[in-house]
Amino acid sequence: MAKLPTPHELMASRKDFPAGSWLDVKPEFAPGSFCYPAKVETMERLHMPHPHEWDPAAEDWNLPDNWEKILCDAFEERLEKHRSLKLFMDICVRCGACADKCHFFLGTNDPKNMPVLRAELLRSLYRRDYTMLGKLLGVSVGARGWDKSVVKELFYYAYQCTECRRCSLFCPYGIDTAEITAIVRELLHEVGLGTHWIMDPVKNCSFTGNHLGIQPHSFVEIVEMLADDCETITGIRPKTPFNEKGHEILFITPSGDVFADPGIYTFMGYLLLFHELDLDYTFSTYASEGGNFGSFVSFNMAKKLNAKMYAEAERLGAKWILGGECGHMWRVVNQYMATYNGPAPSCMMDVPTSPITGTRFENAASTKMVHIAEFTADLIRNNKITLDPSRNDHIITTFHDSCNPARAMGLLEEPRYVLKAVCNNFVEMPENTIREQTFCCGSGSGLNTEEIMELRMRAGMPRGNALRYVQQKYDVNHMACVCAIDRATLTPLANYWAPGVTVSGLHELVGNALVMKGEQKRTMDLRQEDLPNVDPDEPEDDAEQGEE
Amino acid sequence: MKIHDIFRPQKEAVISKWIEAVYATYPLETTGFLRTRKDPFTNPVGDMTHEAAGRLFDAVSGEDTDPVTVRQAIDRFVRLRAVQKMTPSQAIGVFFLLKPIMREQLLPLCTGDRARAAYLNAESRLDSIVLLAFDMYTEARETLAESRITEIRSQCAQVVRWAQTVDGSPVSGKS
Ligand code: SF4
Ligand code: SF4
Repeated sequence: MAKLPTPHELMASRKDFPAGSWLDVKPEFAPGSFCYPAKVETMERLHMPHPHEWDPAAEDWNLPDNWEKILCDAFEERLEKHRSLKLFMDICVRCGACADKCHFFLGTNDPKNMPVLRAELLRSLYRRDYTMLGKLLGVSVGARGWDKSVVKELFYYAYQCTECRRCSLFCPYGIDTAEITAIVRELLHEVGLGTHWIMDPVKNCSFTGNHLGIQPHSFVEIVEMLADDCETITGIRPKTPFNEKGHEILFITPSGDVFADPGIYTFMGYLLLFHELDLDYTFSTYASEGGNFGSFVSFNMAKKLNAKMYAEAERLGAKWILGGECGHMWRVVNQYMATYNGPAPSCMMDVPTSPITGTRFENAASTKMVHIAEFTADLIRNNKITLDPSRNDHIITTFHDSCNPARAMGLLEEPRYVLKAVCNNFVEMPENTIREQTFCCGSGSGLNTEEIMELRMRAGMPRGNALRYVQQKYDVNHMACVCAIDRATLTPLANYWAPGVTVSGLHELVGNALVMKGEQKRTMDLRQEDLPNVDPDEPEDDAEQGEE
Repeated sequence: MKIHDIFRPQKEAVISKWIEAVYATYPLETTGFLRTRKDPFTNPVGDMTHEAAGRLFDAVSGEDTDPVTVRQAIDRFVRLRAVQKMTPSQAIGVFFLLKPIMREQLLPLCTGDRARAAYLNAESRLDSIVLLAFDMYTEARETLAESRITEIRSQCAQVVRWAQTVDGSPVSGKS
């Protein structure tokens, strides 16, 4: 008769862990730890290589017959093309400085989520084919050959890295594991392995212009509804210029700001601000997506989706591009756009210049694209807008540095400057969790899908943990951020790790605080919730708090 | 002699053994890191395990049995285990790893009928904490399930609002 296990046995203490080396421990594809595969028809429409049916939980992934050759060749091609990749393969000294810097490792406690070992998964293959020792000594020097379980392992761990680059900050050689992950994902695509959550938006962006595939006329109507909401709140209906030629500025933001809660409130903040400034700008339905899920697929796909920005700026004759609050869009713009699709169209001005303050954004001279946090910070510094921060007095806010703006473009001060101008209560999270050292939301780089919510909550734990700390210590009840994916993903994260903390974009709070010319007395915030300390029945003049 | 007078001098020894037992449930390569790093933000799992351990001991020994403070102290620890890759029994049963340690470290010190009875009460308090943790674990899993639904709705909330204005009929889901 079988015996009941003891509690100790149930707990699977160390003795039950495989005795072999970490390379021999294979991942288990349990529900909640992998993303659903891309649909065959999606992959076909995008002309991706080897579209096929497969299931991550199944034994056989139906790889094409010559999968090994495809992968070896593809790897070799990339080693030739990207000198950085070859360097990253060669120079790691396994010092371990990066090991405990990854939120996936901290949350999963899985050693293969240490950046050094994540990269080692690929490096072990490299070693066998490209190093003398590896060729001669094989496994004993950590070299191994391709087999199907290695492919599975690469998939598993390439989609447990949000390409956040926190690890690279601590590497003495600057090895960027995010780039290694990006290459692994590219390789997997060569044998038809991709995820639905990434490829579906890529398809929609390719054919209709935005992640959800909303048609242009509908897109405009949705934005107009947001303008109606602005009118309900302020009594002023902001303009919604679309596809108009001859404006100075083309404004591009992630479509999540138009479609998703709570992103829409940030979008309303943009509308109100631009209206108040009487800004000479237009939206575009063609370039209606700032996000670029192609950058989670391959360099070519990123380039293709990114091309719309300059193409549309040229078609509309815009002088520069103002970019909304997005994370990875800014990584693409700052690090890759010039190589992908540069130089910028000749109609654009040499140095983007604010028409309101005359400030020249020299930092954007090459890309012609200015971040809205820089733009607004400049307005505030030059006293061009009137703000009543007391309208945000119901919140004690902290600021989450989104990985890409923080680590890929160094946008650290501007959002804080704006936040402090529009909110009276601001508290920083602990210093080793913010700015360049910020912890990722755990759901970036196309991992923001609900089927891996559990994985996201463990990967987001270091961020949640720091948030919870300031919640308990300083009564923080709000977290602002400048990324559309963050607005979506920090919401469940906060709800799990620090329940009671709400999440919003920066410009939602700007929209709340903005005192507009001729506005009605504000009694509601942009979410149409009652403002604090406002008696709606009191006559307007007495309640006027804005400084003129 | 009160039971906590017997227990208290053993606190450090007992909790460090329990913490070791918890760490031992993770892969070998991870354990060294968990042991050595002290900062609550560089090593959050270590920090939450320490926080849980201290209060667990106080509650079991009967020094502080207020369920509110016990809940607070084990909250992060339980939430983490509710989303880590483990079975529910592994997630919660980890508290039971304290029992063999108590029997080894504390039981031999409890001589005499009264002390033995008091010791058994301490074990029962551990059982209660496990039940409390089980409730918390379940709440955490429910939050997770709700988040998935809420997120799906939020992703296209504005599109749905718009669609409702088109022909007056509500639609749902991603287009
Ligand atoms: S890039 Fe970020 S997610 Fe990827 S290994 Fe480095 S720290 Fe981890
Ligand atoms: S810090 Fe750099 S050199 Fe050290 S192990 Fe990590 S990747 Fe290798």
